[in-house]
Amino acid sequence: MTIVSFNGVGKIYRRRGLGSSSQVVALTDFTLDIEKGEILGLLGLNGAGKTTVMKLLTGLLFPTTGGVSVFGLDPREPQAKNSIGFLPELPYFSPHVTAASALRYYGRLSGMPPRAIEAALPAVIEKVGLVPHKAKKISEFSKGMLQRLGLAQAVLHSPELLVLDEPVSGLDPLAIHDMRALISRLQAEGRTIFLSSHSISELEKICDRVIIMVRGRQARAVKREEWEMTSGGLEALFVEAVTSGARD
Amino acid sequence: MNGLKKIFKSVSCPALFPTPYSLFPGCLDTVRSVAAETFRESVKNRFFTIFAVFAACAIYASLLVGVMAVDEEARVLSDLGLGLMELMTLAYALFHAAMAIPREVETKTIYLVFSRPVSRPAYLLGKASGLYLLSAFMLSVMAAIHLSLMALRGFPPGLVYFHILACIWLKVIIITSLALFISLFSTSPVSTMVISGIIWTLGHFTPEARFLVEKTAGFSGRLLKGAAWLIPDLQLYNLRDAPLAAAPGVWFQFAYAALWALGSYGAAVLLFKKKEF
Repeated sequence: MTIVSFNGVGKIYRRRGLGSSSQVVALTDFTLDIEKGEILGLLGLNGAGKTTVMKLLTGLLFPTTGGVSVFGLDPREPQAKNSIGFLPELPYFSPHVTAASALRYYGRLSGMPPRAIEAALPAVIEKVGLVPHKAKKISEFSKGMLQRLGLAQAVLHSPELLVLDEPVSGLDPLAIHDMRALISRLQAEGRTIFLSSHSISELEKICDRVIIMVRGRQARAVKREEWEMTSGGLEALFVEAVTSGARD
Repeated sequence: MNGLKKIFKSVSCPALFPTPYSLFPGCLDTVRSVAAETFRESVKNRFFTIFAVFAACAIYASLLVGVMAVDEEARVLSDLGLGLMELMTLAYALFHAAMAIPREVETKTIYLVFSRPVSRPAYLLGKASGLYLLSAFMLSVMAAIHLSLMALRGFPPGLVYFHILACIWLKVIIITSLALFISLFSTSPVSTMVISGIIWTLGHFTPEARFLVEKTAGFSGRLLKGAAWLIPDLQLYNLRDAPLAAAPGVWFQFAYAALWALGSYGAAVLLFKKKEF
């Protein structure tokens, strides 16, 4: 069952200055379907358009051409947003509060009643492994703990679809291992996960399917069986896609 | 009735003003949550340093004027305290109004907000309400310090003292609303503060500016006349310079501030609804 569709989506960033304007083409004719229950990875070099895709999906950006639908709705619709949990790259939280306090705020913004927030909090804090740090202020958190908190705010309202932008960026090996286990657990709960990463080995380990992006275009879609049968694995397919994309 | 609901819902959150159906109940919760968060964030940011500076200045000034003002000590002490309160509240509220949204964009906190079912008009209303609450709280605490000091010197305040406090708050509401709107298109928080500061200053010279505009003829006169409408008349709130009998009524002062706050909010919603992050 398809839950997200990108239909010939184009995105152009326009910058207007005094008497001049410039534009950057971030995405061209991007088409993609995300199936329910899968872990889909987005792989590409810096500036390939990965974050643009994620922001279009979460309604933070609007497409210049084409259309995006989430559960059959425009991503800007409140019902569509309610079914998405988003973890941006390097999330920021107010340093003066505790993790529980920050989660309460985001729970309220998700439209959760106070009782539902209080009921969900202990399980979510436990799920992301923040129990020993729940009384600490966020200013005392390490990068890995912030990333865990970021994931906690994304899953608090039990969304069906999780959009994770560079979830392992800047984490130490142990934190990466924990994050990988966490993502697998979330998939086992029946959630669909869409994540972007620079790390080929990470995507290789957890994804069912990977989309390789080159210069704002989808260069290739690869299934797990395909990279498992290729010598050199996903890396070889990625290098091939990027070099042929650069030649075009 | 259902048809009316449908119309309201269709123009609700993305529309210019939040309608009753867009504000209740979900959007009202958003307004409350954002307002509380804005207030809490601002209070944690060197808030008590401001009070310490105010208390130190007020105590020092009271000792000084006690020696210098002789018969006018009560008036000087009251005017000085109120002036200090106005400036400190203005500076602090302006700083936070200029930073409120740009800081959320810069730290990307806004991604966590707008990837949720949060209506943009409700978010802006929450930000503005949090800032109004902040200035009211600041004024209350500083007034408590000031009143204690005056009581200690044996000068009980009259009712007009509280009217002046309300006027200061209304002026700060007007300028905070404008600063919040300006922050959506200005290039930096500093430029927002500078522009708002200029509007604040011009607002205290509106009668003089209008007199000069009346004297200017032709196209430039018409242009200046139009521009004069873009500056709020803050002299309406200056009870210290005008005799009390000549001051406008309290309801007019409230209505005038509400009109400016609502106008700035409407313009901010218009700008904000198409903003991408």
